[in-house]
Amino acid sequence: MYKGKHIKTAKKNRAALAQILVFLIFLGTLLVLHLALPDKTLSGRESLQTLPRFSFSALFSGRFTTQAEAYVNDQFPFRDAWITLKARSELLTGKDENNGIYLCSGETLIEPYTAPAEASISGNVSAFNTLAENAGIPVFFALIPTAAEIWSDLLPEGAPNDSQLATIEQAYSAFSGKTADICSALASHRDEPIYYRTDHHWTTLGAYYGYTALAEAMGFSPEDLSSYRQNVVTEEFYGTTWSSSGFSWVAPDSISAYVEQGEAVITTFPQGAPVEGTLYDQSSLETVDKYAYFYGGNTPLLTIRTGNAGPKLLILRDSYMDCLSPFLFPHFSEIHILDLRYYKSSLRSYLEQQNFDQLLVCYSVKNFAEDTNLFLAAN
Amino acid sequence: MIFSSTLFLFLYFPVVLAVYCLLPRKQRNLWLFIVNLVFYGWGEPVYILLMLFSITVNFFAGLLIGNYRIAAQKRAKMILISDIAVNLAMLGFFKYYDLFASTLSLLPGLDIPTLGLTLPIGISFYTFQTMSYPIDVYRGDSEPQRSFISFGTFVALFPQLIAGPIVRYKDVASQLNFRAGSVEQFASGVRRFMVGLAKKVLIANNIGMLWDIYSAKSPETLTVLGAWMGIVAFTLQIYFDFSGYSDMAIGLGRMLGFEFLENFNYPYISRSVTEFWRRWHISLGTWFRDYVYIPLGGNRRGLPRQFLNILIVWALTGFWHGANWTFLCWGLYYAVFLMLEKAFLLKPLEKAPVVATIYTLVVAICGWVMFDLDSMAAAFGYYRAMFGGGAGLLNQTDLFYLKNYALLFLLAAAASTPLGKAVYDRLSPALRAALTPVLIAAGLVLSTAYLVDATYNPFLYFRF
Repeated sequence: MYKGKHIKTAKKNRAALAQILVFLIFLGTLLVLHLALPDKTLSGRESLQTLPRFSFSALFSGRFTTQAEAYVNDQFPFRDAWITLKARSELLTGKDENNGIYLCSGETLIEPYTAPAEASISGNVSAFNTLAENAGIPVFFALIPTAAEIWSDLLPEGAPNDSQLATIEQAYSAFSGKTADICSALASHRDEPIYYRTDHHWTTLGAYYGYTALAEAMGFSPEDLSSYRQNVVTEEFYGTTWSSSGFSWVAPDSISAYVEQGEAVITTFPQGAPVEGTLYDQSSLETVDKYAYFYGGNTPLLTIRTGNAGPKLLILRDSYMDCLSPFLFPHFSEIHILDLRYYKSSLRSYLEQQNFDQLLVCYSVKNFAEDTNLFLAAN
Repeated sequence: MIFSSTLFLFLYFPVVLAVYCLLPRKQRNLWLFIVNLVFYGWGEPVYILLMLFSITVNFFAGLLIGNYRIAAQKRAKMILISDIAVNLAMLGFFKYYDLFASTLSLLPGLDIPTLGLTLPIGISFYTFQTMSYPIDVYRGDSEPQRSFISFGTFVALFPQLIAGPIVRYKDVASQLNFRAGSVEQFASGVRRFMVGLAKKVLIANNIGMLWDIYSAKSPETLTVLGAWMGIVAFTLQIYFDFSGYSDMAIGLGRMLGFEFLENFNYPYISRSVTEFWRRWHISLGTWFRDYVYIPLGGNRRGLPRQFLNILIVWALTGFWHGANWTFLCWGLYYAVFLMLEKAFLLKPLEKAPVVATIYTLVVAICGWVMFDLDSMAAAFGYYRAMFGGGAGLLNQTDLFYLKNYALLFLLAAAASTPLGKAVYDRLSPALRAALTPVLIAAGLVLSTAYLVDATYNPFLYFRF
């Protein structure tokens, strides 16, 4: 009797110990791995928080604690595997998306569009109108729809996805200059790979169709697609929708280039001073940010002497322009490409210095709707 | 710091626990005292001073009250009253000043500036805890605590510091001086913590996203199905989030050798609003019962007086949840149902349990609308949509969300009943012994995945 009770308690204790060990070993192992594994600075496309430096001012402003929390999360051992596990589990519970990215047919990852308040659209357009007034040269405006518009039928039925056409129409009708109909140009080629499956950008092919729409609006005749030689520069491209969704099992994209640099002389101004640039940055293909193959990635200002005859063009743009701009080389003598997110000097004085013949404002609908720097166009 | 974060789970807690277990018993309270302050000051280091002030004032008030309690009862009473006044002033200033200032400024000719102070995290929880101490000493329910460190450990004890349960001093007084601790207690702490973590990270955070979507829509665009789906999602979110925190707190407490009282007992299976409040946030209800309702006379002075007491207690209960008049309305809304039930409704409800459960659920669900929306105007807009005054019955988007969240709804609904526990308790001891470590491991792996990729991990009690 007494002995039986003793065995029962021992068994119970063993069961309790097993539970405690599972718990402590799990926490302990991850803590040790966290300390032991080297910190990374990049994962996919996002930059990761590195060990924050302690100071009392950082502590009392709350910066230190926020960074410390981000640090533990960002440098978590096997972070990508955990995120993939979560993505899989979300799909298992009947969801079609993870972190706002939908896994659509053909392993296409699409982020749906949310229309901004009407006031923010009209605010951005009125900045462009002021710019057009100040510039005194022909100003063209082009909005590029994202995959969520052209390939909206790939999204699950009923998934919330606002019309980008509505945003475009609203913006165009408020704009005082000429506009380009990129949306129709892309829609008539919707069966071709005009967007990346794993990234939010359009492909170089999509950019080509955008270029034909610009040609029509700006009054020059585009080159034939058949006149280029398609050069596949990588087949291992994993983009932003891939890295933020956790759908890591999706196959990679390939990046193509159509135009050769030829005579074009490219200068970038990463910090204000001129630096020799390149149209195609081979070294980016070795990094996670392979889209930076075009010009080496984001920069405040790029200038291109194309070596051809023609007018001088200024482009205000986002990263969708990276792969489009080479198509413009034959039609302009000089092209300046300016990014308002990073260019912090006065645009008006730049216009006065440079004597441009034409100005193109070209944004993806999503960036146009969300970018808070566009009012700088009026400065 | 919150429990459901990688920083807490994989750095703070393992370090705290390891040192705690290595230290001799006598020094454990000091260690807890120090790490409590780190935990508390994590978000807003300046408020550590506030915490220390609160600990000091109440510590000495307790000592004095203990001294004078028998010999000079009047003096003891004076000290008690002034101490409570200090506590309430602190709570009132940090939590309610801006609400009163902006409300009074609505009067013509008055313009009181607001201060925009960040609410010290958990202030409503720990002020109530500290107030319980001098009252318990005054009533003779507890001996005064002679160690400042032990008292500080009680006030700032990190498991229940920021989201309850509200621990009354008399319930943990003896544990503060001596905690035996055992393998089984620790293991039960692990199990309880895992239940809480899974509730918060796997259910509450995920279903909460749906409420975020629907509560952001303007009421004219809401359909009947959409409005109900949204508020039912919040109904589940607040329960799994809040009770999940309590489970984690109770679990962490047990791992450190403390036993806290239960805070939730499957509230959504209640068959009356009266029962609901015996099962929801029990520690708050108990606090108000012991320290307000009963001293006011409770139900011993006739029905009219009892109704007045209910009104007072539930007005305070509502207002405790946040500095917004919506919370007061939410409290009074419950007072009305409680009075109706006391007057005549309880008897018929007993005869029709299914109807009674549905009635209680509908009352709770509708209550959450004004609880979570920012103004009564927003709440009434939402009610209109719930009862057909919005954009029709349903639309494509609702069906899309229904499909996406159907499994989670079913899981959460099942998990808010005692079904899971009943199945677990019926397993043979051998099976349970084999299954439990597997469940703990699975819960840890899944919760970690959801924490590392946490795009949505809100702390709902920042207004409390």
